[in-house]
Amino acid sequence: MNCEQCQELISAFLDNDLDDKDSSSVQTHLSICAECAKLCEDFASILNFCLEESPAEIIPPNSQALWCRINNVIESEIKQDAARPETLPVEAPGNWFSRMWQLSLSQFASAMMVIALLSSLLTIVVIKSYSASTFNEDFAAQTEHAPGVVEKLLGKFGLVDTPQQIRLRRIEQQQAAIEYWNQRVAARRTQWDNNLREAFDRNLNEIDRTVSEYTLILQENPQDDLSGEMLDSTLTEKMELLREFSDL
Amino acid sequence: MKLDLHNLFGSSASKKTTVLLWLSVVFFMLSFSGAASAQKKFARSYPATKNVRLQLTNRTGTVTVEGWDRPEVAISAYLEKPAANIEPQNLSGTIVINLVKDNQGRGEVGAVNFLVRIPYHSSVDIETKMGNLNVSNIQGNLVRAHISTEGSITLLNVLANAVSAENGIGDIFFDGEISRDGNYRFTSMRGNINLRIPYESSFKLVATAPSSRNISLGSFSNGSMSFGDGRRVIGRVGDGSATFTVTNQRGNIAFIRR
Repeated sequence: MNCEQCQELISAFLDNDLDDKDSSSVQTHLSICAECAKLCEDFASILNFCLEESPAEIIPPNSQALWCRINNVIESEIKQDAARPETLPVEAPGNWFSRMWQLSLSQFASAMMVIALLSSLLTIVVIKSYSASTFNEDFAAQTEHAPGVVEKLLGKFGLVDTPQQIRLRRIEQQQAAIEYWNQRVAARRTQWDNNLREAFDRNLNEIDRTVSEYTLILQENPQDDLSGEMLDSTLTEKMELLREFSDL
Repeated sequence: MKLDLHNLFGSSASKKTTVLLWLSVVFFMLSFSGAASAQKKFARSYPATKNVRLQLTNRTGTVTVEGWDRPEVAISAYLEKPAANIEPQNLSGTIVINLVKDNQGRGEVGAVNFLVRIPYHSSVDIETKMGNLNVSNIQGNLVRAHISTEGSITLLNVLANAVSAENGIGDIFFDGEISRDGNYRFTSMRGNINLRIPYESSFKLVATAPSSRNISLGSFSNGSMSFGDGRRVIGRVGDGSATFTVTNQRGNIAFIRR
């Protein structure tokens, strides 16, 4: 099974709609393909979130009253506009646009210089980023999505999320999923035999200890991408452990 | 009347010995029958098709899978009390045994120790919540061994295109060959990961041991390897056709020449 086939079946797989053969093929592929496994996890998280979310939290408490309020606000604004005297001269949009482009020679030259400077800077950054990634082996880039210099730069300007913001958001999602599976495990664990319960607890403690260590490292050094990646993987393992034991 | 003290004591001692002998025999028989009744045996075999795939999900216990030169799948299992339900299925060449599903909703279920013999060229996908997993003499397309919590994984004489071994607490030992363009993934939370492969193997490597920083490449180390701060090693051995991803959160990683 390739990635495309697997991704087509993931949704049905999560809904338990696949027959045993397809299900096992998907499971096998997920076990060897990190990208599809991550996609599956994301789907599962969304699914869990939707299952957890009660309709009362999504639907406004009184939709009719809300619509009445919106109507009232719109009507009052229309009345205010009608009452206001039209004193300001209205400028044709074309005039404003054409006036904006009427630049003096010095302004035009400065603008061109700024554009040239920006584009050469961007080119340097891209080349540096590309050469760094080839140096560090393309295989590593396949296994982890390391943010490039361009992404970091854009992140600093707030144009895209920084790796730290992405990481925090992902951790929140993982914690939500962990919370969900934890509740299911808590309801069932009394039925397990002692040996199994002890083994489960020991492993969970080990995972929690590891999570604490990475969290501490990341608090001291938020730029430590490897610890971020390991934290992500450890939380995924915790989620998996809980999910697997929720079946028992 | 003369009392023969010697005879008297002699006969009494021999009686005692006889009684003790009988008691020990009875005790032995009882304990043996107890042990026998504590374990139940399960056995089943299937004729093998061309592409056999074993998919076994255990709860607790040891699973041993051995490849053999016979067109037959032989499953035997020793069940501890309270005995688990086992309902194997043969789905067009895929042997499915799922003890989690077969015993869902049951409280306590005893450990099940499996010994499965399958043709060499089979694929193996085994997992357990707790216990050891052993696979040997397999040359199929896939070998996957997954332990949710504790247990060791031993893969001996394995030549598969995709190998995945994952456990929580416990060692992982792989001794096998690497196929060209193969994918090899070994992950542990705490334990030692030892990988014994032929010297002429070629692969791309990402090995991560963030806590111990103990990644030993042995004779596979070369100038193309990037060690960084010791937590992760990235590099290439030979032409790098296969991929090796090894992660050990709190343990060591070692490559050994085969």
